[in-house]
Amino acid sequence: MDDKSFAYRAKKASGIAMMLAFLAFAVLPILWVLILSLRPATALFEPIWESPTNLTFDNFRGIADSGFPRALLNSFLTAGIATILSMIVGVPAAFALAKSRLRGKFVASWVLLLLRMAPPVGFVIPLFLIYINAGLIDTYPGLIMAYMTLTLPLVVWSMWTTFAQIPNELIESALMDGASLAKALVLVVIPAARPGVVAAAILGFLIAWNDFFFALIITRGSTVTAPVSIMNFISSDSVDWGSIAVAAICVTLPIIPVMVIANRYIVQSLSGAVKG
Amino acid sequence: MGQITLREVRKSFGATEVIPPLSLEIEDGEFVVFVGPSGCGKSTLLRMIAGLEDISGGQILIDGKDASALPPARRGLAMVFQSYALYPHMTVAKNIAFPLRMAGMPAEEQDRLVENAARVLNLTDYLDRRPGQLSGGQRQRVAIGRAIVRKPEAFLFDEPLSNLDAALRVNMRLEITELHAKLESTMIYVTHDQVEAMTMADKIVILHAGRIEQVGTPLDLYHNPRNLFVAGFIGSPKMNFISGAPAAAYGAHTIGVRPEHLDVSTEAGLWQGRVTVAEHLGSDTFLHVQTDHGQLNARLQGDIDVYHGDTVWLTPNEAIMHRFDADGLTMK
Repeated sequence: MDDKSFAYRAKKASGIAMMLAFLAFAVLPILWVLILSLRPATALFEPIWESPTNLTFDNFRGIADSGFPRALLNSFLTAGIATILSMIVGVPAAFALAKSRLRGKFVASWVLLLLRMAPPVGFVIPLFLIYINAGLIDTYPGLIMAYMTLTLPLVVWSMWTTFAQIPNELIESALMDGASLAKALVLVVIPAARPGVVAAAILGFLIAWNDFFFALIITRGSTVTAPVSIMNFISSDSVDWGSIAVAAICVTLPIIPVMVIANRYIVQSLSGAVKG
Repeated sequence: MGQITLREVRKSFGATEVIPPLSLEIEDGEFVVFVGPSGCGKSTLLRMIAGLEDISGGQILIDGKDASALPPARRGLAMVFQSYALYPHMTVAKNIAFPLRMAGMPAEEQDRLVENAARVLNLTDYLDRRPGQLSGGQRQRVAIGRAIVRKPEAFLFDEPLSNLDAALRVNMRLEITELHAKLESTMIYVTHDQVEAMTMADKIVILHAGRIEQVGTPLDLYHNPRNLFVAGFIGSPKMNFISGAPAAAYGAHTIGVRPEHLDVSTEAGLWQGRVTVAEHLGSDTFLHVQTDHGQLNARLQGDIDVYHGDTVWLTPNEAIMHRFDADGLTMK
């Protein structure tokens, strides 16, 4: 094959051009946010090449003194607790659905899928009314429970498919070896399905961490989460773009190491890796 | 002790009865093989004894005590699965120690028993490896190690050699037989391979469509099959069956002649035929012969000078011929 031909080169060049276009599409907004976070308010809308040295950490200092760190902590706590509770409830539920001869499993799978697919706005009005009556507005339990409506179906659905790949003989073997069903789950099934468990936990955490809608409806002051808190930088007469950029970086940064660590588990989980 | 009694046990899945009421006595220390074609219910029966499958009726007694409703963990049985079912995240040592850990045994005692089991099964060098780093035979030995370490009342084997290649299967067959002689424990072994059944069993239980067709020692089943199914299932190559006039000549609806009980001559005999395939193994010669009464197989000792296309005459040994009536039952 003549790999120096014009057609080959044109094909290769168009491929590289497409990749560069996608790269720019993905990376430019991040670069823009980074530049915004380091620019003083007076230079925000100047092109960077006109005053490349006009950089400041004032936006970071301003954020540190605002209510945003507290909101970030709220996000971490509520998303973390919602994920942990969803795993505690969802993993055994998924195990039961995957491995027992329950009647109505088909119905359960459709209900779960419906919950996963339904837009959160569908739940908001009844949830809001219930929360008003139950005194759950602007409380951590209220927000955590709302997040669990997102995370629990995700955990059950994804763990159900993960557990379905675990051979029944592995569980039966543990039962023959003297384990109870709970011990078989904890000591044998969950470790064997570790990639799926980690992937479910991380995806659940990300859904709750990135939630804006429920937090906007439920939180008022002390429980405000980071995505909602970013809105506080927008007032009726100005938008604090510098602080918004810093806040966006603060919301994104903690996720990056988690995703790097979790990446291989998610890939393994998606490729269904359970080796005997 | 490891005496197991099945009293009228049965199993249904919805309206489908897979095991009609069935009774069986397994003595302490016996090596019993459940054998039958695929779908005959042998694995289901084993799983019912293990407690992994609920019974729909009847009783399972282990050492005289009703174990029908006991969970698997409390029946005192150990099971070796076809797929080995080793815990992939644990080392060989931890796999073998798992039942001891579940029994709450102190760690030092666990280590001692694991080392003993590893020595018996030649696994000492592999104790720190994970199942994924072992060969099929080694994995099977780990599965057996995990079963023997807790000294169960009885061992249950569910087609444990099916995933191994032919040479390894023969080795493991010998190892399991030796293990039985050493441990003197009750073993129930499920297989669809009648050679495994014949070579390993003290007692064979032949199952067909969930029913016990016959129970007996390997040679008893070989020499005195109760019906056509047992006669055809036991023995390799399979018994030849001939119906019609040749059978009527011997006063039977069907006659059965084992391939090794057919005399072969190139000059004269009872049934003339043409050799379609001649398999020369050195120690034996297998002939597939097309006759007027259908295809008949003959097994001859040594290397016989007969080849594809040759005309031969086959003569059954009347003294050890099997006669069956119209219902397929052996005639007395």
